Amino acid sequence: MRLQKCFELALNILIHSKLRSWLTIIGIVIGVGAIVSIVSIGEGAQASVQERLGGLGADIITVSPGFQRASNGGFRVLGGGGGRGAAGGDGERSATPAKSAKNITQKDLQVIRPIANVLFINGIVSGKAKMTSLAKTASVSIQGVDTFAWKNIVNTELETGRYLNPGDVNVIVIGNRIAKSVFKQQLVLNWMVTIKDKPFKIVGILKQSGAVEEDNAIFMSITAARQILDKENDNFDSITIKVSNPDYVDKIINETDTKLMLSRHVTDKTKDFTVTSPKAIQERIVEATQTFTLFLGAIAAVSLIVGAVGIANTMFTAVLEKTKEIGIMKAIGAKNIDIMLIFLFNSGLVGLVGGLLGVIAGSAISLALPNLLSGFSVPGGKIITVLPPYLLISALALSLLIGMIAGVIPAYRASKLKPVDALRYE
Amino acid sequence: MGEVEVQALREINIVILKGDFVAIMGSSGSGKSTMINLVGCLDLPTRGTIYLDNKDISKLNESELAQIRGRKIGFIFQQFNLIQNLTALGNVTLPLEFQEYSPEEARQIAMRLLTAVGLGERMYHLPMQLSGGQQQRVAIARALSNNPDVILADEPTGNLDSKAGSDVINLLEDLWKKNGKTVIVVTHDAQLAQRARRMIQLKDGQIVGKA
Ligand SMILES: Nc1ncnc2c1ncn2[C@@H]1O[C@H](COP(=O)(O)OP(=O)(O)OP(=O)(O)O)[C@@H](O)[C@H]1O
Ligand SMILES: [Mg+2]
Repeated sequence: MRLQKCFELALNILIHSKLRSWLTIIGIVIGVGAIVSIVSIGEGAQASVQERLGGLGADIITVSPGFQRASNGGFRVLGGGGGRGAAGGDGERSATPAKSAKNITQKDLQVIRPIANVLFINGIVSGKAKMTSLAKTASVSIQGVDTFAWKNIVNTELETGRYLNPGDVNVIVIGNRIAKSVFKQQLVLNWMVTIKDKPFKIVGILKQSGAVEEDNAIFMSITAARQILDKENDNFDSITIKVSNPDYVDKIINETDTKLMLSRHVTDKTKDFTVTSPKAIQERIVEATQTFTLFLGAIAAVSLIVGAVGIANTMFTAVLEKTKEIGIMKAIGAKNIDIMLIFLFNSGLVGLVGGLLGVIAGSAISLALPNLLSGFSVPGGKIITVLPPYLLISALALSLLIGMIAGVIPAYRASKLKPVDALRYE
Repeated sequence: MGEVEVQALREINIVILKGDFVAIMGSSGSGKSTMINLVGCLDLPTRGTIYLDNKDISKLNESELAQIRGRKIGFIFQQFNLIQNLTALGNVTLPLEFQEYSPEEARQIAMRLLTAVGLGERMYHLPMQLSGGQQQRVAIARALSNNPDVILADEPTGNLDSKAGSDVINLLEDLWKKNGKTVIVVTHDAQLAQRARRMIQLKDGQIVGKA
């Protein structure tokens, strides 16, 4: 009851407060707004990583040629190496393997095969080729796979048709985007296309995948792909490994790494291949994003501190202006704790209002940002933002808390005023 | 400059009985307000003791004093001292709410008191929208809301014209006569002082006359 009354009185003060006192909450508005938009960008980045790599099974390991030393390894793989089979192979966006890097060969496959808990090994060649359908031509990315292993590893279900079978020649399975968006005329089952002058029949179309690379790829037997892409027998652009249990991934990555270093006669310094997993890549990116978000968040927090000082300042002024009323309330029976609570609630409410405006501003920025920056490319494609409810709620709670903390000293001072002195104040 | 100690009151020795109506008079600065504030637990004496209901209030802590102010004493001030952002009704319920009355109960009591002081029609007006006399009547209703034994009024008619002033005087007299309250009034107003049962004259912080 008493709490409720103090709250009502605090609200009453807030409603009747002067415009001047509102100006001091700008710090809170900016701080909360900045934090909300920064975190929403960070969350968006994580969600986009999830979107790109999430579909790629937690039980997959990839081996690709080339090795980049530490540092921003996380982002490199996003470019082109993360996808199953696409690793390091095709092209312009992927990490540049050292020129001297040796290809992955049949021998490497043999080294990996005996490792415990390895279920399937898919040696892949990949590259770009021209595909023609109804006299229209497009450049597409080709993945030559071990048909048997691929069938067992692939995570994406079929929309229609079938996967590749051992012994298949001149047939392809295509990713969802290839079927739907590359040509005006959508590609359908049993359709014939020409890839580098050779005819191929579409025997399967994949559903939309969790990984963009897969949606944009054409899968065929490795023999066919080697011919089309002019690749040497025995050589692979990457290897994907399926292990029996996601828990073994880290262990098998290490084991593969060690064994390959031995068989390829390289040391840590001269290492010319990379063993990783979509899961590990994802974790690294998430970590990097979090660090980045935290850094920007810390900057925004400075604004919050400024805001808190602003509120404290407002509250000191408010207490001064209300001195007489404090005296009156004490004269009619208000205890120190009542006065304390009234001003504490009042400053909490000021903080909350600042936080509310900040959340609105931050959400608006976060919603508008993807459109504003649509032409601006970041690792992982376009910027997306996510506004999780926890963010909005905790931003409000934080601003309430900041308001109350800022109000502690002014409220305490108000509560300690002597009734006679307060009443005499004009 | 340095601090000069002012003895606002000295050698005061007085007993005011329950149910009395006392007027305190004296020139400006003679210590009238100081005296009434001490009785009302708004101030504490540097020396000496004050008994209220046989209890030495000069030794109490702030929380105990607040309790006495809230339950036993009703204040009426020269400047009315209403909370400007609360309606007449809000002002009268406030002391009750500080004493943990339920909102509904507080409302009932306040409405009855406002009606009794002739403001039944003005309950939802803000102090700004009321005349001085009306504001002082709201203040009287507020002073009565906790049904205190003692009413303390510091120049209650000081800011009012004679008509509004005599309304207030009549109300105070009724409180004493009909409701058996102990009423202590500080005043320069001879008309008001005459209506009191006793009068105390102060000069330079000392009692110079009783009647
Ligand atoms: N806070 C204070 N600090 C210093 N001196 C004070 C203080 N309050 C009152 N006094 C002094 O105490 C004396 C009595 O003051 P008080 O307010 O009781 O007078 P009063 O009789 O009520 O006068 P008035 O009729 O003008 O209201 C005065 O001399 C005044 O200057
Ligand atoms: Mg006075």
